[in-house]
Amino acid sequence: MFSIYKKELQSFFFTPFAYALIALFMLLFTYTIGALIGDMDSSRLTFSYAEVFYNAILYFIFLIPILTMRTFPDERKFGTEVLLMTSPVSVLKIVIAKFLANATVFLCMLAGSAIFPIITAFKGEVVISQLLCAYLGFFLWGLMYITLGMFISSFTENAIIAAILGELAMFLFLFIDNFSGIAFFSQYPKLQSVLYSFAAQPRFGYFSQGFIRLSDIVFFVSAIIVLLSWTYISIEKRRWKRG
Amino acid sequence: MITIENLTKYYGTNKAVNNISFTIKDNEILGFLGPNGAGKSTTMNMIAGFLPMSDGKVTICGADITKEPVKAKQNLGYLPEIPPVYPDMRVREYLAFCAGLKGIPFTKRSDEIERVSKLLKITDVSSKLIKNLSKGYKQRVGFAQALLGDPKFLILDEPTVGLDPNQVMEVRSIIKDLKKDHSVIFSSHILSEVSAVCDRVIIINKGDIRAIDTIENLEKSYSSSLVLRLKIKGARAKASSIIEMTEGVKEIISIDDEGSEIFAFAVQLEGDAETVQAELMSELLKNNVKILEIYTEKPNLENVFIELINRPAKKTSLSDLIDEIVPDSEKAPAEEPAADEPAAEAEEEKEEN
Repeated sequence: MFSIYKKELQSFFFTPFAYALIALFMLLFTYTIGALIGDMDSSRLTFSYAEVFYNAILYFIFLIPILTMRTFPDERKFGTEVLLMTSPVSVLKIVIAKFLANATVFLCMLAGSAIFPIITAFKGEVVISQLLCAYLGFFLWGLMYITLGMFISSFTENAIIAAILGELAMFLFLFIDNFSGIAFFSQYPKLQSVLYSFAAQPRFGYFSQGFIRLSDIVFFVSAIIVLLSWTYISIEKRRWKRG
Repeated sequence: MITIENLTKYYGTNKAVNNISFTIKDNEILGFLGPNGAGKSTTMNMIAGFLPMSDGKVTICGADITKEPVKAKQNLGYLPEIPPVYPDMRVREYLAFCAGLKGIPFTKRSDEIERVSKLLKITDVSSKLIKNLSKGYKQRVGFAQALLGDPKFLILDEPTVGLDPNQVMEVRSIIKDLKKDHSVIFSSHILSEVSAVCDRVIIINKGDIRAIDTIENLEKSYSSSLVLRLKIKGARAKASSIIEMTEGVKEIISIDDEGSEIFAFAVQLEGDAETVQAELMSELLKNNVKILEIYTEKPNLENVFIELINRPAKKTSLSDLIDEIVPDSEKAPAEEPAADEPAAEAEEEKEEN
């Protein structure tokens, strides 16, 4: 399992891929901070990192599918899926190793973004507890999107299609609470509440305000586990269905 | 030992592999022969545990490949049809990854990589990117991967495709050497290769096993297609009547006029080739026919292969039996008058009496 993890990391870091992705994330993150600072005027003199993270989640929709799009399609394209499947490593371990590799790149992205709070801490004051909570929420959200992206990439042999479908799915997921608020759903309050319970944005809201609620952690962790097991099932199903 | 029992694979409604069973003994090289699309790769993929089977069972050293895949795959090295290499990796990196994948302990990895690299002569490309290698080298890297960890069983799907004649010879000798402490299943559609390397051969077509035997036995038991070649000068009509009269001759397949009164006969034999040849020769000489050349074509795997492939498959499953029954019932009305005829004749005879 470790060798697959290592190989995945090599494929990210021995090529410009991971660096380009992290740089793009940093660019967008920096831009958001700049824009938020620029927005401050005499009427509004607050600035919070939580707000930056809120905006940054929107970039996930574009960045995470790019990270995860090659997870399974590339193995199929090069015929190396056979190698993994005929080696004495279970499919579940393959999925987990690939997830951990993706998560590592994502962690590097987060680590890059930590530069700004650190600089702020030198010159001013940062509410560390709130910042850490926001980071935790941000991290969990990212992991959930990574598993979603991996799940979608397990359907196809084409990385581009995996990326586009991933973007679509992540977009829908991000705005699920907005969708549940539209007039159609408000006719059916029960349906609306079911739909709303899948909304991750309000849960992230708690994290960004400095609350760690068990239910929110359970929500994210179970979403990750469910999506990982779906990925596993999808790969097995594909094998059985082939032809 | 690998045991394969009633292995079947459906692609949709199309049966790619039909209920095949065989075993691979220890220290044996088993050739897997068949035309394109015969089900060779599908079968190999199933044995290696990549494709799940629709029915049947594969046991490798006592471990069922579907029930205990990890245990079963530990004894297996597999080289698929397309070498499973990552184009963006260097050869050494790739082999290190595969060694890790196969669970070779970290301390032994570099020795193991060294060993297979030397064996397949890829040491000098070990720091090259795989995408820059030629097809032959990629094939060898893929082969090296299969040999890592010294697995007891090797499944090689057309290992010599894309290699130059020199490399083909090398790979063949490697496969022969492997026999000492490995078993190899090895597919090919190059017949000379199979007869040069394998102990036993499985001939497969359209998902059915047509024959499992040693090459010698196959050649012996399917030698009905022996052909005698004869070249004479002049007296074509005389010679052909003598040939047709000789016992053990089935028919004259062809007579070629090669100019300046030289005729080449191809004669299909039925009986023992040597006796027929001797008799025919003495008959021809008695009748003053000038013989320029006479020999019997040796039976070869090629003829056996062609014969077996073109032969209709045995009926084994229920659906095949049904298929067989249906045309019969359609034929039945046509046969009825024929059955009546003897009866009618018998009646006529009675009347005459």
